[in-house]
Amino acid sequence: MYDELKFDNCNHSKDPMVGCALEGATGVLAGIKDISIVIHSPQGCSSTVSAAYDVHEIDFTKRKVACTRLFETDVVMGASSKLKNLIKEADSKFKTRAIFVVGTCAADIIGEDIEGLCRNIQPQINAKLIPLMAGGFRGNLYDGIELGLNALFPFIRRQEEKIPDSVNLIAPQANLNPTWWADLKWVRETLEKIGIKVQAVLPHDTSLEELDNAGLASANILLSHDAGYKFGLKMQEVHDIPLILSDIPLPIGLKNTARWLRAVGNYFGVEEKVEAIIKDGEDMAIDVLRRRGLMMIPRYRNCRVAVSADATMGIGLTRMLFEELEMIPELLLFRSPVSDSQLLLENELIDMGISPKVVFSADGYQIKQSLSENCVDAVFGSSWEYYLAEELGIKFVFDVFNPTNRQNYLNRAYFGYEGMLNFLENVANDWEMALRSKHINWEEYS
Amino acid sequence: MVGIANESVVFFGHLSELYQLAKEGKIETKLQGSHTRPCKFWTAMKILSGIKNTIVIAHGPSGCAFGVKQAYKLTNCRNSGSPYESIITTNIDEKAIVYGGEKELKGAILEVDKKYKPDVIFVATSCATGIIGDYVDAIVNKIKPKINAEIMAIHCEGFAGEYRSGFDLVFRQIVQLMDKPDSESRSRLANSVNIVGGKMGPERTEIETDVKELRRLIESMGASVNAVIAGNCSLEEIKQAPSVAVNCTLCLDLGYAIGREMLDQFNTPLNSTILPYGISATERWLREAAKHLHLENEAEELIKREYGAIRIEFEEAKKYLAGKLAIVEGHDAIKSLSIAHMLERDFGMRAVIYNFHPWSTQARETSIDYLLETGLDPEILITKGTLAFGKYEAMVQTENELMEYLGDLNPETTVYFGSSMSFPNIPVVDLNAILNRPRFGYRGALKVAKCICTALEYSFRPRSWVTKKMVFPENSGLCSAQSLTPKLAQDLPDCTVYAGRERGKCMMS
Repeated sequence: MYDELKFDNCNHSKDPMVGCALEGATGVLAGIKDISIVIHSPQGCSSTVSAAYDVHEIDFTKRKVACTRLFETDVVMGASSKLKNLIKEADSKFKTRAIFVVGTCAADIIGEDIEGLCRNIQPQINAKLIPLMAGGFRGNLYDGIELGLNALFPFIRRQEEKIPDSVNLIAPQANLNPTWWADLKWVRETLEKIGIKVQAVLPHDTSLEELDNAGLASANILLSHDAGYKFGLKMQEVHDIPLILSDIPLPIGLKNTARWLRAVGNYFGVEEKVEAIIKDGEDMAIDVLRRRGLMMIPRYRNCRVAVSADATMGIGLTRMLFEELEMIPELLLFRSPVSDSQLLLENELIDMGISPKVVFSADGYQIKQSLSENCVDAVFGSSWEYYLAEELGIKFVFDVFNPTNRQNYLNRAYFGYEGMLNFLENVANDWEMALRSKHINWEEYS
Repeated sequence: MVGIANESVVFFGHLSELYQLAKEGKIETKLQGSHTRPCKFWTAMKILSGIKNTIVIAHGPSGCAFGVKQAYKLTNCRNSGSPYESIITTNIDEKAIVYGGEKELKGAILEVDKKYKPDVIFVATSCATGIIGDYVDAIVNKIKPKINAEIMAIHCEGFAGEYRSGFDLVFRQIVQLMDKPDSESRSRLANSVNIVGGKMGPERTEIETDVKELRRLIESMGASVNAVIAGNCSLEEIKQAPSVAVNCTLCLDLGYAIGREMLDQFNTPLNSTILPYGISATERWLREAAKHLHLENEAEELIKREYGAIRIEFEEAKKYLAGKLAIVEGHDAIKSLSIAHMLERDFGMRAVIYNFHPWSTQARETSIDYLLETGLDPEILITKGTLAFGKYEAMVQTENELMEYLGDLNPETTVYFGSSMSFPNIPVVDLNAILNRPRFGYRGALKVAKCICTALEYSFRPRSWVTKKMVFPENSGLCSAQSLTPKLAQDLPDCTVYAGRERGKCMMS
């Protein structure tokens, strides 16, 4: 199935590849329109909130963030009145319908009663106040996404009736595609094509009305294998909305896309429509590759590769690389703990009959060690892996995930049929560039 | 005061008057809740990231280390192809918050020493470990004999001080790594200088940077540079740093802390002047350095040679500019003051600094004291947008107030020194653009002169409606950091962000 690698000297020290809970939690809030964030923290944590807004590519003028800028005296004496005043100021200046009051490490540890404070001053505030403790020590980015999603429950109204053929899409941002919005768009458009309405995206560019009506959806689809699973289960429990498709890979590569579409088709009884999309998509993808990508075949066949990604991309990609491109996934390096997708990964590897070496919650050191100790010809990763692999003399490094050095003016999905081509186009270009060696003494050949 | 409606103006007067008002508490000097800067942890990390073969252990949750890694370490790789450098977190969780994180820290130090074999380990405290009171100093002292690396604790909790206090703290502390000079080391480095006040790490390799220009000038004078501290320097260079002939500040504001400390501790002379923008500032910088290097004659020859090389174009530009009004964007306080100094002294212009937040009068007190002493006292204009709640670097309001102010000004007699993402109807000179470098030294003066000439030469061309709409679309405006190239996007935490670009950003690296 897989061989989980273990490392010396890694029990207490970590070179982190993902941020903390604060980034995850505020990354959820940043996807909701017409809200503001009051962050109860020293000023540096504001950069983390900015990063969360960047994840959704939100215009600076549409960011409504205020920070209490805690200093030593606040930590010693408490800073409730500072927070109270800032909430009032944010309410009168931002004029948003809801304010999330977020406590970070400092406020969390000194025991600021954000919940009580919000309750007490709510009558004086126009916006709905939602307290959220998101100290970085509460976990990693993915734990933070769960915290943030949990904070959305007060906005989702309980509905007895459900709208047939409608879904909510959960955690689209927990995805390493540098332009993940395109994956979300592909899912939305594909569902609409087969008559499934997207009730709410939880969250990206989501209005409070959409959030309010999220309880009307007849199913929830998770767009990540890294975060949102617990929220999906809780939605099932609280709002009686089943979580579907969480036991198969996301639509990456031809086979996974077909599986995902067929699962949607079976659930909603639109098998015929789905089959038509699959046929057109596969024909198109293969036709394009026949005309423009034939060189893939000799280049990629039996090339030993490392995939350094999240579970969202990594699990789906493994099958595409192995079955469709005939590569050999030697190393799977997951930035996330893959805790909720462990079974899925195991089933996939058993089904394919391969036993790659695997690292969960891989940090920078472990990635470098794994690459140096295992024989791989190529690496699928981000600009991090690009620099690491370059140092180790690995020539083929595909810079396809976040953070990337690649410029994308147009959003490009990795999900679906065009998504596969987008991904392979990036790989093909990086491969081509890697062959332009600076080390050849060309004068010898003149 | 021309052009601008009085109700939009918060302050219009000279720097010295603003400074006085701030001291007397008659003008608000606190940053608004929406005007955040990096915290002490971030700024400390920015300096530590400029020391090679060191590992920083950020004792706290993973987010603090991860942010620094994305912002500084990745940027270092991107700038220069320098090797990937790790930054370590002890990754403390709720349990450690309750029971203390000392075990995690001890373990991390031992592991880091074994697996990375660094020259130095810096243990940096975060808010979380600062509050729970982990006894970091004791751990560090106790573990010293058990590891090969040198080790130092840096108490830089985010809440423990204003933004710039992290810079000062680390600069003062790394002096403890230095060796006391002796006659042998002094004589070996008698012809060398340190450039102090650098940060972050290797510079961009593909452009002529300001540091490279200073290095070239020093070497052209017949001296050499021992180290840029802390801009990609090694422990070895730091150790011998006090033995040089003189420390030259790269940035007056940042370099002063370490220069002063080295002067007090080791008697290493300090050449601390205004940022060497323009000719008069550069001359002062060079002559002061030459005094300690005993290269006064060489410096004078160099000055003559360098000026000779730019004279024609420089004087041509000067003709255009003498007597004209310069509006200088003031987000980066020290840089805007240095540019104002250059425009007044070298080009004979009248400079007005726009959007200078009164907070800077306290945050940059030492530097402002110095500048006022040198007789630099430019006019400052502060409009309501600067002090409004909402991110002032990213507010359409300040842009509108600027337009209002410029409304009645003659485009033929006014030049705007600021971001090309502002769209006044007067020539714009953007000294932060990557191709407009170096800005220091004589070549910098020439570069500035050329930029001005180009801006004037093409002032007949209206600003692009496309770029204007990109920055200021209807009902919104000012894009996000995603709009930056990956190379620049990670630079954000230590700059005043305007449309995701480094408007007013200190571009020392």
